Amino acid sequence: MLSIRDLHAQIGARKILKGLNLEVGAGEVHAIMGPNGSGKSTLASVLVGREGYEVTAGSVTYLGRDLLGLPPEERAREGVFLAFQYPVEIPGVNNAYLLKAALNAVRKQRGEAELDAFDFLALIRAKMQLMQMDESFLNRGVNEGFSGGEKKRNEILQMAVLEPKLALLDETDSGLDIDALRVVANGVNSLRSADRAIVMITHYQRLLDYIEPDFVHVLSDGRILKSGDKTLALELERRGYDWVRQEASAA
Amino acid sequence: MNGPAAPSPVPAQYREAFEAARPSLRGAPARRAAAFARFAELGFPAAREEAWKYTSLRRLEGRRFAAAGREASLARPLVLPGALGTCRLALANGFLRPELSDLERLPPGLRLRSAGGAEDAAEATALRIPAGGGTERFAALNAALSPDPLLIEVDAGVRCADVLHVVVVAAGDAPTMSHPRLVLRLGRGAAARVVVHYLSEEPAEHFVNALVDAELADGAELQLYRLQELGARCFHIERCEAVLGAGARLELRDSQLGGTLARLDVHVSLAGRAAAAELTGLFIADGSRHLDMQLRVDHRAIETTSLQDYRGVAAGRGRAVFNGKAIVHAGAQKSNARQSSRNLLLSPGAEIDTKPELEIYADDVQCSHGATTGQLDPAALFYLRSRGLSEAAARGALIRAFAGAVLSRVDHPALAARVHEELEARLGRLLEPQP
Repeated sequence: MLSIRDLHAQIGARKILKGLNLEVGAGEVHAIMGPNGSGKSTLASVLVGREGYEVTAGSVTYLGRDLLGLPPEERAREGVFLAFQYPVEIPGVNNAYLLKAALNAVRKQRGEAELDAFDFLALIRAKMQLMQMDESFLNRGVNEGFSGGEKKRNEILQMAVLEPKLALLDETDSGLDIDALRVVANGVNSLRSADRAIVMITHYQRLLDYIEPDFVHVLSDGRILKSGDKTLALELERRGYDWVRQEASAA
Repeated sequence: MNGPAAPSPVPAQYREAFEAARPSLRGAPARRAAAFARFAELGFPAAREEAWKYTSLRRLEGRRFAAAGREASLARPLVLPGALGTCRLALANGFLRPELSDLERLPPGLRLRSAGGAEDAAEATALRIPAGGGTERFAALNAALSPDPLLIEVDAGVRCADVLHVVVVAAGDAPTMSHPRLVLRLGRGAAARVVVHYLSEEPAEHFVNALVDAELADGAELQLYRLQELGARCFHIERCEAVLGAGARLELRDSQLGGTLARLDVHVSLAGRAAAAELTGLFIADGSRHLDMQLRVDHRAIETTSLQDYRGVAAGRGRAVFNGKAIVHAGAQKSNARQSSRNLLLSPGAEIDTKPELEIYADDVQCSHGATTGQLDPAALFYLRSRGLSEAAARGALIRAFAGAVLSRVDHPALAARVHEELEARLGRLLEPQP
């Protein structure tokens, strides 16, 4: 589904990704772990086309297409979704409007008809229940005045509504208490399916107790140094990242 | 307020217009003559006059306008806008059109007096000239030439829930000047809701020199909705004056949308204890439109409160000026003055100059002011696009949200809807990629 080859990216003159390779297949759940500054969030930003990141080499192929050639909205319509680490507050644009506009953009791309108000509301209600969110959220500005946990829930709500093919989660667990983490994990797990891939970027092993990955990768200094199964995450939790770096430089 | 340079002499056409109109003007001839003399004395603004620092009237000064005639203005067929009130008063070039006005259906306790006929005290104040500021000269010109000053009185204690829709149309095949005047007198504890709606007939470049003069006795409440939708070639200058007694309350909900050059001066005097004024508005300077809003609130008594909250959008080569001023005079203790000016620039060729000002001569007051001018938030734009919205849709959503914040204060759904519609109609132009 997603094939990243020798990806190099920088912000200004600062090189951040330095030859990253990653293959993600349909139905797989990947976790990308790594210390601060290793390039985790840059990878997410590059994949969704955020401005300010320059790709200097390498390629990203998504469902056989050159992902990097598409503007951000096209990527979203093709089924790429990023749950942001820091969702932005947009006063005056209400959640219901955004959900509806986003859903209809995606449906149009899939060749499906726009949902009418009744069906839309029924869908949203079900998804909000899943995320244990109050319906009053719909009429509030996007993320406006939301707590950290509410913002993260809202991201997963959008994801649950849009049903992306490739879901990227950037530090979705940060700032969540244990109850909120369960709700968020539950939302993500409900989306696991054979035709969907999920890539979680995270600092801590904690999230992986709730969303079990098929693959775990260690990102350091802009490259994937080591890949393994979920036991790698437990080992990282126990031993930290240094041994991976030492192992890599010895090789 | 005059700058060091001498004012620019009045173009001959204004004197000619006054001489021609003189015999037919109602009201005391001496008062009219004195008003014109005041206009001639003040002249057009000099190049360096502070109150006109960012707005040049050279374009206006050079234009020729026909004086609006009574017969022509009364005979002309008018296309009126949809109702924004339960009763309507229609003015064509400042002349009252009785057959298009609901003169027989005015709310009980609200009286319309055309300030003509015999000289009386009400008429004397109906033609008064608000002093000071950059627009005193035009207020004087208006007092000299306004053919049918509308004097609306609301009796003490009468609370009109009905909305009065005053439609002010500039009309004429040739460029025409007009001087509409609306005088509102609210008695003790009276309440009124008035829409003042400026429109023009396309495509001529009319000059509308308007004046609204409101007096609120103790405890009176006025909701004044202003909708300026003149054609893209019109010039508009307006002085809006209000004096508030103790406990009186004024809400101005302004939408400054039309014209090629439009200047609005609002002067509010909070003269009685605990008088309160809320001045909020939206302006859209797109194309090559030039809009200039000058607000001034004088806190002259204790416990007075004011809010000035304006939002502006400029696009294309549009230009806007916003100057909000609150003056808390000595003795106006426990007053509260808040100002907010937020502005959105949608293209590199657009410009907005904003200056909130506070002058405080009392020591026990609460004042705050803030001004921002910027572009659409790139992080918000990206967030919306990352959810599949096109760039145009994302920009549109953010522009609507920006304007919506101030329009949400307009507690007149039909009017708010009309402004939202106008915004929608202009979004295409506001979203155009700019060179």
